[in-house]
Amino acid sequence: MLLWTAFALMTGAAILAVLWPLRARAVGPAAPDAAADLAVYRDQLSEIERDRASGLIGEAEGEAARTEIARRMLRAADETAPVPDGSDTRRRAAAVVALVGVPLIAGGLYLALGSPELEGQPLAARLDARPEQADIAVLLRKVEGHLESNPDDGRGHEVVAPIYYRLGRVDDAARAWSNAIRLLGPNAARETGLGEALTAAAGGVVTADARQAFARAVAADPDSVKARYYLGLAAEQDGRKDEAGAIWGKLAADSPPDAPWLPTVRAGLERVGAPLPPVAAPAMPGPGAADVAAARDMTPEQRATMIRGMVEGLAQRLAQNGDDLDGWLRLVRAWSVLGEADKAKAAAGDARRHFADDAKATGRIDALTQELGLGS
Amino acid sequence: MTRKGRRLVLIGSALGVLAIAAGLMLYALTDTIVFFRSPSEIAAEHPAPGTRLRLGGLVKQGSVEKQDDAHIRFVVTDGGADVRVGYTGLLPDLFREGQGVVAEGQLLPDGSFRADSVLAKHDEKYMPKEVADALKKQGVWKEGEGVQ
Amino acid sequence: MIPEIGHYALVLALALAILQTVLPIWGARAGDEALMRVGPPLAIAFAGFVILSFAALVAVYVQSDFSVVNVVENSHSMKPLLYKITGTWGNHEGSMLLWVLVLALFGGTVALFGSNLPSRLKANVIGVQGSIGVAFLLFILLTSNPFLRMVPAPAEGRDLNPILQDIGLAIHPPLLYLGYVGFSVTFAFAIAALIDGRIDAAWARWVRPWALAAWAFLTVGIAMGSYWAYYELGWGGWWFWDPVENASLMPWFAGTALIHSAVVMEKRDALKVWTILLAILAFSLSLLGTFLVRSGVLTSVHAFATDPTRGVFILAILVAFIGGSLALFAWRAPLLRQGGIFAPVSREGALVLNNLLLTASAAAVLVGTLYPLALEAFNGEKITVGPPYFNVTVGALMLPVAFAMPFGPLLAWKRGDLVGVGQRLMAAFALALVAAGVVAVATEGGPVLAPFGIGLAAFVILGAVTDLAERAGLGRVSPGTMLARLRGLPRAAYGTMLAHAGIGICLLGIVAETSWSSERIIGAKPGDAFPVGGFELRLERLEPRTGPNYRDVAAVFSVRRGGVEEGTVESSKRIFTARNMPTTEAGIRTFGFSQLYVSVGDELPGGGIGVRAYYKPLVTLIWLGAVVMALGGALSLSDRRLRVGAPKPARRKQPAALPAAAE
Repeated sequence: MLLWTAFALMTGAAILAVLWPLRARAVGPAAPDAAADLAVYRDQLSEIERDRASGLIGEAEGEAARTEIARRMLRAADETAPVPDGSDTRRRAAAVVALVGVPLIAGGLYLALGSPELEGQPLAARLDARPEQADIAVLLRKVEGHLESNPDDGRGHEVVAPIYYRLGRVDDAARAWSNAIRLLGPNAARETGLGEALTAAAGGVVTADARQAFARAVAADPDSVKARYYLGLAAEQDGRKDEAGAIWGKLAADSPPDAPWLPTVRAGLERVGAPLPPVAAPAMPGPGAADVAAARDMTPEQRATMIRGMVEGLAQRLAQNGDDLDGWLRLVRAWSVLGEADKAKAAAGDARRHFADDAKATGRIDALTQELGLGS
Repeated sequence: MTRKGRRLVLIGSALGVLAIAAGLMLYALTDTIVFFRSPSEIAAEHPAPGTRLRLGGLVKQGSVEKQDDAHIRFVVTDGGADVRVGYTGLLPDLFREGQGVVAEGQLLPDGSFRADSVLAKHDEKYMPKEVADALKKQGVWKEGEGVQ
Repeated sequence: MIPEIGHYALVLALALAILQTVLPIWGARAGDEALMRVGPPLAIAFAGFVILSFAALVAVYVQSDFSVVNVVENSHSMKPLLYKITGTWGNHEGSMLLWVLVLALFGGTVALFGSNLPSRLKANVIGVQGSIGVAFLLFILLTSNPFLRMVPAPAEGRDLNPILQDIGLAIHPPLLYLGYVGFSVTFAFAIAALIDGRIDAAWARWVRPWALAAWAFLTVGIAMGSYWAYYELGWGGWWFWDPVENASLMPWFAGTALIHSAVVMEKRDALKVWTILLAILAFSLSLLGTFLVRSGVLTSVHAFATDPTRGVFILAILVAFIGGSLALFAWRAPLLRQGGIFAPVSREGALVLNNLLLTASAAAVLVGTLYPLALEAFNGEKITVGPPYFNVTVGALMLPVAFAMPFGPLLAWKRGDLVGVGQRLMAAFALALVAAGVVAVATEGGPVLAPFGIGLAAFVILGAVTDLAERAGLGRVSPGTMLARLRGLPRAAYGTMLAHAGIGICLLGIVAETSWSSERIIGAKPGDAFPVGGFELRLERLEPRTGPNYRDVAAVFSVRRGGVEEGTVESSKRIFTARNMPTTEAGIRTFGFSQLYVSVGDELPGGGIGVRAYYKPLVTLIWLGAVVMALGGALSLSDRRLRVGAPKPARRKQPAALPAAAE
């Protein structure tokens, strides 16, 4: 309400700026245009006079200049336009234009462009808001504020690190993980988180730092699946395909048959041309034991067709009902694993549209596309 | 001199000045234009040694060698071909491996490039336009992809 | 609420600008005094709402209101307050709003102080200004709206770019805009004259203060931009002929020509059509400059592809204003009455020469800047036009300007006496020759052309002084009279002298810097010493330090000259932790007008660091010269005769002791 009052006052002021000079008695007798010209020429004459007096110009020159200016004065007096008058009709027309036009143009454009329903949200006010009203982003800010004053709170760093990662702030995530490691000591989860963040920050390239982090994670906990997967990826990116194949092969062998990461690992193995482990258990929803059993006996082509069929089924399901975030994430990952980067990107785009209003969800989608190197 | 005569002198001298200026511009333009080339284009066209060029591409990962006399060697690549570059001086702040770069200088007979100036992108979002185009041509970089 | 108030104020301003365009011009056409009188209050109200809108945007930035997209994209809550404020115009949308703010301020000033203008001219001027406002506000509201909102609001902004956190960079765009937009007033006067079909010597006097103000702001803005690039980019260069710099130089050339041709028009009623054309050109080039600087639209034809609406809109603005005004010019200019006549050798002739060369320089820069774009659009070939092109063309065109400069003010109007002027300049010329000779001897073995350059610069400065001495009657009258005369001279005369001397000072700096700079690039370890330009620099230590939001490694050098300790200079490589973004802080020590400039590079494998050190003799004169020029402009502006809105000549006081004639 306050806002609309302010708008009304502003509009009123704007209209007044037009109406005030138009009011009937505002128009006094107009000074003829020539008066302004004549003032300038008189000034020029006095200047000539001064120059001549101080000897800057000679008598003859001064005289010539004077005649010239005198001629200009005469002409200015001649050219004087008829003294303008005011017409009541025009004045009324102008007033109507102002009265109607200003609110119409301003109101119309503003309603099309503005967001009158939105309050201003100064940061300080948001930070002061009670916790149950605060948004995630602000909560994160509060933790950050806390960490700024207590930079040695390792637990705090550990809590925010995965949040950063999911929000796509991978540089911050990497920093938070390394702080957590520094303060709380290394363990497999922290080192893996660090490595993952560093990899995402490098656009999907497992950098030397990231590789070392993963290696430390595996050293701390040999069962650390993610770290092992990334070590394989690092080997592949460095061109050591045999080594990648060995790492992933072992990882696949160590995994339970329904492990959700297996498809990713298998895709890697296929890329480096390493032998696929005997058990294939695509992490798609729905494949019953029979399907899995059937898959075991299939040729790779048949298997691919079957997996593809399942993925497409998932895609259809999501097209009809898109509220299943995990489903979307699986779909993106599946397309990516199948080497269909375009479809994966499209799926990620669809997912983002579905969850456009949900920062947390889009954060996860972004993190996933980042992880898969799909760009955005 | 008559009014007309004066006018002619005025117009004549104006045209004279303009002609001189136009001549100057043409002369200077033919002499100082520097072409932009990507490593692939250099590999394909073999420009004569000594030609001044602007070479653009990505700094190849792991290729930067710094020597103690502030001489620097690195490789510029666009995915299709590589060109070795030598440069003495300070690199711009945003010069990094794997990032876009434009080097201006001359091609040497051995196929390497001696740069007398090296430009990196100006801020984190900005990729030199020519470099982006050249990379797109080679398919190394796609619009919107993370060249963060 | 604040962002929406700002948004609504902007929309209201658009509505007022439309009325401001229509009503006064209609009134002027119809000869209706009442409608014409609507102009000034409208222009002031327009200014009021634009100020309100801009203030709202600044407030939103200060509050870090991240529900506004523009703030999210270009600010960060951790920025120091000063840079939150300056960040308002550090981006495309905000800078466009700043542009309109400056436009509104100029328009308001015309409305407030234009009481000495004929009512029809004033109405048309305000109307044309209104039309510029309409175009830019539509552009802002429809394609570059800084008040768009975002739900949900993120908790942090995206930008903490350390390079942009610099006071020089923050001040320099507003100064440039004061220059660019100042030419909108002269443009409006020109269009008003064309609409009215009537123009006379008085017109020039009304236009001159605006041209002078715009020119002085632009001069300072350019100098400041140059100094910023010099110390911030760490390369020691002060002019790169980069499109952004060229964009500010072109209107400067046109504006310089304009203030000179306006003098001819005022005094002699001549060059009227030409002056109008220059006013149109200066603003057209300013428009080009505006879009080159901020939006980056014209730096590449591809920008049109990535953001078609914005690109097409800008193109439309350029076509409408440049094309429209030139068309109006072609149609109406032939109807204007011819003005006074003059001999080729005369003050007018000299000013025509100056105008021709200045416009040719602007054209040369324009060609060099746009040629690569044109070629790329034409056949896809990518080229750059390098500094040599600009040095050759602009250098060759400006040399005669500099040489002719001392002659101009000494020549008489209408018909001049070149020989007589030459005689009066003999002393200046002789002294300049001596200076050149001394320099040639002192710097034997250096660049051959340098002594000529120094001689020319000296001639320009001494010529400016000669002009003043001549006006005072040096050698012809007694010292007391001279003093009285000096006191009686109009401020514009001092302004001319200062501005011309400023050119000479600037030239001096340019010649010295380009001819005798010494540069050294080495890798140094702590303890290493090396000479540069008569100094000995010793890398004392590498000192890691931590600042409020950065870490840096400072290289501290001790400076010795001839064995005498001269203190230290330090340069550092700074890493801003928030973005892991490195910058170089150059170390600069000023000795007299010369500077020692050190910047460091990366750490080298052997524990050393890359060092680039320069000694730049007289380099500060380049910018001091520009400041002196701008001071000259300001002094002329303060001249009683040009004071806008001042009543008729109040006093015509002549010192009684002044003899009527000295001849």
